[in-house]
Amino acid sequence: MILAAFVLVAAAALAAIALGRTHRQMNSACIAEAAIFLVLSVWLILSSQIPMTSLAIGNEFFFIDHLGLYEVLIATVIFLLAAVYARGYVENLIEARELSRGSLKLFYGAWAFLLLVIVLAFFSDNLALFWIFTELTTVISAMLVAILYARDNIDAAIKYIFIASVSMLFSFVGLIFLFEISRSVVGTGTLNWTVLMQQAGSFPPGMVIAAFALIFIGFAAKSGIFPFHTWLPEAHVRAPSAVSAILSGVLLNVGIYGIIRVFAIVHRTTAVSTVSLLLLVFGLLTVFIAALSMLPQKKLKKLIAFSSVENMGILLIGLAVATPLALFWVLFHVMAHAFTKAGLFFSAGILHRQYHSTLSPDAVDDMRDVFTLQPVAAWGIVLGGLAITGMPLFPIFLSKFFLLVQLAGFSPVALVILLVLLFIAAGAFGYFVIRTFTQVSGSGAHAEIVRYQTPAGMNLPVIVLLVLTLILGTVITSGEVAFLNQIVAELMF
Amino acid sequence: MNLAFGLYLVLNTAAVLLIAPLFVSIIKKVKAWAQGRSGPSVFQTYLTLAKLLKKETVYSSHSSWVMRLTPYVSIAAVLVAALFVPLVFVPEPVGGIGNIILLLYLLALARFFMALAGLDAGSSFGGMGSSREMSISAIIEPTTIIVFAALVFVFKSLNVFDMFAASAAAGAPATPTLILLGISLFIILVVETSRIPVDNPETHLELTMIHEGMILEQSGKNLALMELSAAVKLTLLMALLINLIVPFGLTTTLAIGTIAVATVLFVLKATVLAGIIGLFESSMAKMRFFRLPSLFAMAFFFSTLIIIIEVFA
Amino acid sequence: MIDPALVQSVIRILFAVVIVTAAYIISTRNLISLVSVYALQSLTLVLMALALWSLEGATVLLAIAAVTFVSKVLIIPYFIASIQERIRIRRDIEFHFLSPTTSLLLSMALILFIYIALANILEGTPARESLFFFGAVIGLSLMLMGMMVTFSRKRAITKVLGYLSMENGVLLFGMFVTELPFIIEFLIIIDLVILVMLTTILTVGLDSTLEEYHQRLHRFHLVGDTEDGP
Repeated sequence: MILAAFVLVAAAALAAIALGRTHRQMNSACIAEAAIFLVLSVWLILSSQIPMTSLAIGNEFFFIDHLGLYEVLIATVIFLLAAVYARGYVENLIEARELSRGSLKLFYGAWAFLLLVIVLAFFSDNLALFWIFTELTTVISAMLVAILYARDNIDAAIKYIFIASVSMLFSFVGLIFLFEISRSVVGTGTLNWTVLMQQAGSFPPGMVIAAFALIFIGFAAKSGIFPFHTWLPEAHVRAPSAVSAILSGVLLNVGIYGIIRVFAIVHRTTAVSTVSLLLLVFGLLTVFIAALSMLPQKKLKKLIAFSSVENMGILLIGLAVATPLALFWVLFHVMAHAFTKAGLFFSAGILHRQYHSTLSPDAVDDMRDVFTLQPVAAWGIVLGGLAITGMPLFPIFLSKFFLLVQLAGFSPVALVILLVLLFIAAGAFGYFVIRTFTQVSGSGAHAEIVRYQTPAGMNLPVIVLLVLTLILGTVITSGEVAFLNQIVAELMF
Repeated sequence: MNLAFGLYLVLNTAAVLLIAPLFVSIIKKVKAWAQGRSGPSVFQTYLTLAKLLKKETVYSSHSSWVMRLTPYVSIAAVLVAALFVPLVFVPEPVGGIGNIILLLYLLALARFFMALAGLDAGSSFGGMGSSREMSISAIIEPTTIIVFAALVFVFKSLNVFDMFAASAAAGAPATPTLILLGISLFIILVVETSRIPVDNPETHLELTMIHEGMILEQSGKNLALMELSAAVKLTLLMALLINLIVPFGLTTTLAIGTIAVATVLFVLKATVLAGIIGLFESSMAKMRFFRLPSLFAMAFFFSTLIIIIEVFA
Repeated sequence: MIDPALVQSVIRILFAVVIVTAAYIISTRNLISLVSVYALQSLTLVLMALALWSLEGATVLLAIAAVTFVSKVLIIPYFIASIQERIRIRRDIEFHFLSPTTSLLLSMALILFIYIALANILEGTPARESLFFFGAVIGLSLMLMGMMVTFSRKRAITKVLGYLSMENGVLLFGMFVTELPFIIEFLIIIDLVILVMLTTILTVGLDSTLEEYHQRLHRFHLVGDTEDGP
């Protein structure tokens, strides 16, 4: 029933967008959709018994458990804020003639549909079904990237589609392996995660490693893990900032979510030590590449995008540790990163609107008088930067700290390497912010830059996210802890 | 040496010499049809050869004995090679005859002398043709070796006679290896006989000609011998392809009836193959010189695949 | 019932056809023949599914054959061909990283690698049986060869064909290793169709003429690197 409610709401939103005539109407439909989704998922958390494995519709294929719900919650919050943000942002894109009014319907239609597909992906029990929804998110989000009809955007979108889809085909081969494993062990093959978790104890380790390695390729590409991360910076930079926030805050989570699910299965077999090593190596490599790419970075959005890559690497390392506590903080980090990163992209978007006439595709970001022109966005970047590099009071500090503590017990060498890399990344971020934001033009030149009147709808999400991360970083409620522990228990760690 | 083998030596050589010009003409005819022309008669090559044999041979004043010797070396090498490839009747091999590596190098010998003769007359076209021919044969060499190695792996013998006997005994089992082998052999055939994606046998356009460039200075009887050896080479490579891939009709017993049937079948199959070559040539454009390796790589790829299959499965 | 030995030999021949088409897709530069070869490859898969059906009798295979025929032999090739008409590109002669020759040589090594790896992984399972094992090896090889096409070609439309050929490999692999539920095969094809539509439409944008692009770029104040136009 509950799934039907989600689908119906999305269908209503799509219909409203199809019928809507003005930009405001379409945007409102998207805001309403995300808000109702949020209400629905909060209601699910508060009222129903989860995990729900027997749904009235889509039995066998769908289920709702704490992890799925948690991800849906994060996704809907970001979608809601991004939709509010898009109201002013897209209006300005149209005024600057970077987006044609004719593409608006397509843009918001894809937006509304993307949210539905993501929710369905998180509620999929059948891994093949999850795979297909993940593929669809690639296609739809690529459409959102390509919507600005400039050559670079199409290039970035095509690169994104091909890297992600080609890798996802490897995942599918991995799923076929998994299916064959369960068929040869139990007799009737299945790809239902809940069933696989029960059977996993008797899986032969050799084939499980092969299956995981193949599945990992696809989801790693989705979440921007080295060496499949190359699409990520381009797509994030080219996309409209509202979309960048979704790409970074929600779509990367889809990939990590897939890895967590499959790793949970592997964790029940004897193959876990090999797979942990694989995750650790790829995690470290990812952080390494991201940190080094951040260092000489001269463009704000690219810097933030590489920071996403870095955080995905940290998540992998946390998974590799594979203790219940590490998993707990991995899950916490997923949420913390999503909210912080969305805030950063929103701020970057405001700055891009302010300076878009002076920003050239290849040169250094030339931003002057940031604090006088766009105080909210500037503080958003400064505080968001502090948050993402893991300063105290912010949630990422907690998750990074405890993940590092857990890592110390797993592999001290990796801990040292990771610490050095994290310092490099933090230094890169700090250096960029200090260098760029201290540029002040002389008194005479001030008049040249026209202040971009940021609509309240664009500043609001930044402030909301900053407050939200501050709360998350300072107050940890018992309900939150219980919820995350419930997820850890369901993943049988 | 028994009677059957002696008979084979005589008859096979005679048959090759007799029908070789026919297939050259058939390919020309098919190409003419594909271009919407009626083309010369299928016996035109015989007439041309007869005419050339009556003509006087002219040597350039710069040329040496190489020029005089080459036609005879060429025809001799090719005819000996033709002995290695039975057309319709496979006798028991005697001595070392039929060794596939020797076959390859007999063809290389003819080619080597042809290239020398191209250089010998001192004309610029001859030198150009020779240098191109030698570059191509250097590139195709590994591929040819691999294709022949694949043949050896599939038929478990180095001897062409044994291969033919094995394939004749098996009838026509269309196995995947044979399909891949057929494609590889076809590519080798096209390259070795200077056909279209590699060389154009019909043009004397100075920029593209390879084979024709080398025999540009030949005249009269010598030219006739060169043309004939090219025709024989074509026929023997065609026979190799046909008798390995579609061997039905090929006989190992010496009896008038079976040999007559086999002959008729062979001429039919070879005509069809000549038609295929003609159509293939008409459908392709000549490749740029530096792009040829990708054609050879195809044959190389398939042959290696065959070897992998044969070794592992 | 047809003689199983005959069906098996037919399947083996179809394997050879698949390999030949894959090699052709890697090395050709002619876009029009690329599409028809892709259609031929898909048709081979349809025939293979039918042959397997006559061997095993699973109706899923029949359904797969039907869906594959409609989508991959008819709709997608037709769609791509009509797009090609519009963008007026006949030849694809630009390559990243790998030339066709290198790709062919590389794919040989890949096939060998897959053979050995699969032989180790599938040891002791029913899929290790000769015919099915070969199907799996060729499926994976086709997939990796398609991947090389996707990464070595510059034109987006050839990349699409490489991706499609990869997907054929996955289908082949799935057909021979195990019996997936039909709904999943069907959804994959839906996904494929959407992806092809989107990428080819984007391709029209990407591969359209330089003048149109100049206009757009001027309109967006984005005049930058336009010298590497199509």
